[in-house]
This record gives sequence, structure tokens and C-alpha cells, in this order.
Amino acid sequence: MFASSTVTRGLSRCFNRRFLASQAYIRPTPNDAATSTTPSNITLEQHAALDSALRVDHAGEVAANWIYRGQHFVLGKQPDVGPLIQEMWDQEKKHLAVMDKMQIQHRIRPTILIEAAKIGGFGLGAVTALMGKEAAMACTEAVETVIGEHYDDQLKEMESFPSDHPSIPLLREVVKEFRDDELEHLDIAVINHAQRAPAHALLSTVVGMGCKVAIELCKRF
Amino acid sequence: MSASSLKRTQLLKIATSLVKTHGFTREALARSVLYLPNQKHVESKQDNEDCQPLSDTAVSSLFGFGDAARTTLIYAWLDEGINHMSNSSQPARNIFLGREPAFTWLSLQFDPLPALKHAHRIADEAAYLSMDTSRELAWYARRISLAGIYSAAELHQLTSPSTAHSFLDSLLTGSSSLEQKLDDVMLYSDYVYKSWKGILKSRGML
Repeated sequence: MFASSTVTRGLSRCFNRRFLASQAYIRPTPNDAATSTTPSNITLEQHAALDSALRVDHAGEVAANWIYRGQHFVLGKQPDVGPLIQEMWDQEKKHLAVMDKMQIQHRIRPTILIEAAKIGGFGLGAVTALMGKEAAMACTEAVETVIGEHYDDQLKEMESFPSDHPSIPLLREVVKEFRDDELEHLDIAVINHAQRAPAHALLSTVVGMGCKVAIELCKRF
Repeated sequence: MSASSLKRTQLLKIATSLVKTHGFTREALARSVLYLPNQKHVESKQDNEDCQPLSDTAVSSLFGFGDAARTTLIYAWLDEGINHMSNSSQPARNIFLGREPAFTWLSLQFDPLPALKHAHRIADEAAYLSMDTSRELAWYARRISLAGIYSAAELHQLTSPSTAHSFLDSLLTGSSSLEQKLDDVMLYSDYVYKSWKGILKSRGML
């Protein structure tokens, strides 16, 4: 159990050494059009699609942060799983920082359900953590599965966006990077016995359905 | 964009500049063709019988029947104002009140929704131009506040145009001061919460 989490963290650090698109936002270059301007030549439909996509992404990262906060509140002091949750939470904090900047850059309306996302996320994280560390990992597995698929669908949608403005290729790279990070969290959860959680199938279905409903609500509101 | 829709857009843009003299009327739309770049400007039929304002049928087919054409012109005028806000070197609040909005409000009084949408667009553009970085619910609070200030200033201008700028200034100053006070209250509350949390932890109650 200790060895598997150690190997996982080692692999994670290796992945982090690759070039990361999000660095353009974490360490921005002054007057970089890719991180400070939004394309004006996209159609109204494309703009609406970009608006709802980034609104959902932003809300998703807020919720993910609060899920990990809830899990850390309960399990943070446990030596085997506490540091693991902290590491995944730190990665989500970085995702959220980038999404905050993209929301301002592309003039996206944030979801009005943001406080509900925080309360729901914390509640989900804390309740599954109280059920045990396997249940917490099962929750992570279910959430990251839905989020990974969602980012994949967005990448397909973004293929139709014109690439002449530098922010669009950067956006695609950032979404790819975040998708890969979320799938990494999914792998970590599976390696750490998510599937041994009590009523794993039911728990995964309920959490997955909840995430899909939240995505549809955030697209509109 | 097709050639015909480009022409329509061009005519609409010219018609917005005729609002000052002809108001939000079908006549402004009809006369816009006289001011196309490759046309000689003509005032009367005697000068050039080939250059005539658009017929009523042409206005209807290009811009809509009856009041729909007027509505199209109003929206184009409002869009022109927002573009002017983004591209002008003047302070945004000079442009807020420099667009003779009386016609707009009178035209929209029977349907408040377009006015509300316009106020939201102005507020969003003003927040963007002032490099606002509000997030989450503060994003909404900022825009609702700006939209309210803009709407109040527009209504004030209907009754007292000469004092509109000072009224707008006072509203903006009041809004900033209220925001500052709310931030101070939040900060103080945070200190009080952390102090009590520390006290309870030190007594072993947390």
C-alpha cells in the first residue's frame, strides 16, 4: 500500500517535468496575446460554446478543490492517504488559478451556482472520506472519470474553432493538460483501492450522475 | 459574410449617424443609401434622379416590417455606442452619457427587457475596460452595481441633462466607497473569526 502510493507519486513528478501549457498562465509573459486577449473573429455560436465550456470548466475546478478540501478535512492527518490527497488538491489549486485567469481573459460569465458547487463539493468529499479512505478514492475515481470525458468532448468541440488567434491553440493545450492530470488522479485513485469501497458500483453511479447534472446546470446558469 | 449582408451592415452603420437628424425612424434607414461611399450625397430629386432614398418595400425587406425596422436601428445604435466605448480614448463615463439616450429610453419604454440587456452590456463593457478582475459572485455584484448606476444616470439625464455628469460621478464615488466599506467589514469579521478559533483551540475545545 505504501509502495504503490510512492511509485504513483514518483510517476507524477516525472510527468510534471514535461512542458506544461498552463505555465503560460502561471508565469505569464508581459503583453502575450495568447494569455491576455480573446478572439474576436469567432461566430456567435462558437462564442456561446466557448462561454459555456469555460464556465463549466471553472465551476468544475472550484468543485474539485472543495471535494479535496472536504476529503483532507477528514483524512488529512492519515499518513498513508493524507499526503496523496494534499498532492492532488495542490494540482487542482493550480488548475483553478489558470481557470480564473482564462475566465477574465475570455470575458466568461462565471456560474451563479458557484456557492452551491463549493458546498456540494465539500459535502461530497467529507461524506465519502467519513465512509473510509477507499470510498474517498472511489469518489475521486468517479469524479475524475466524468471530468476526463468532459474535457475530451470539449477538445472535439474546440477543433472547429479558428486557430489564427494564439489563445485558441493555447486553450486546447491547457484543456489537454488538465484532462491528462484528471486521468492521472483517476489512476491514482484506482491504484489506491478505490474499487474496494463499500457499494462501489452504487457510489460511482450516484457520484457520476451528480457530476453530469452539475455540468448541465453550470452550462446554462 | 455575403455581399448583400455586408451592404446591409454598411447601410445600418450609416443610418445610426442619421439618428441625430432623423431620429429612430424608417426615414433614417431609407436615406442611408444616399451616404454610401461611392454615391454622391444628394439632397433633392432635382440634383440626381438616379440617387433616391430606399423605398418602403426595400426598407422592409432589408430591416423588417413596421416597427421591426426601428428596433433594428435602435439595436445598431446601441451596438455603435458600445463599440465607441471600447475604441475611444475618452474616459468611458463621458461616452456613457454622450449618446443622447433620450430617444432610446422613449423607444424602449414599453418593453423593459431590451433596456435591461443594454444596461448589462454597458456594465460588462465598462467592467472590462476598467480591467476588473472580480471573480465568482463578486463578478455579478460589480455588474449589477454598474448597470444600476448607468440606468439611474440615463434616467437622470432625461430630466436634467446638465447635471448628469456630476450625478454619475457621485454614484460611482458612492459605489466605490460602499465596496471599500464592505471589504473592511469582511476583513474585520475574518479577524474576529480567526481570533475566536485560536482562543477555542488554545483551550482545547477545537
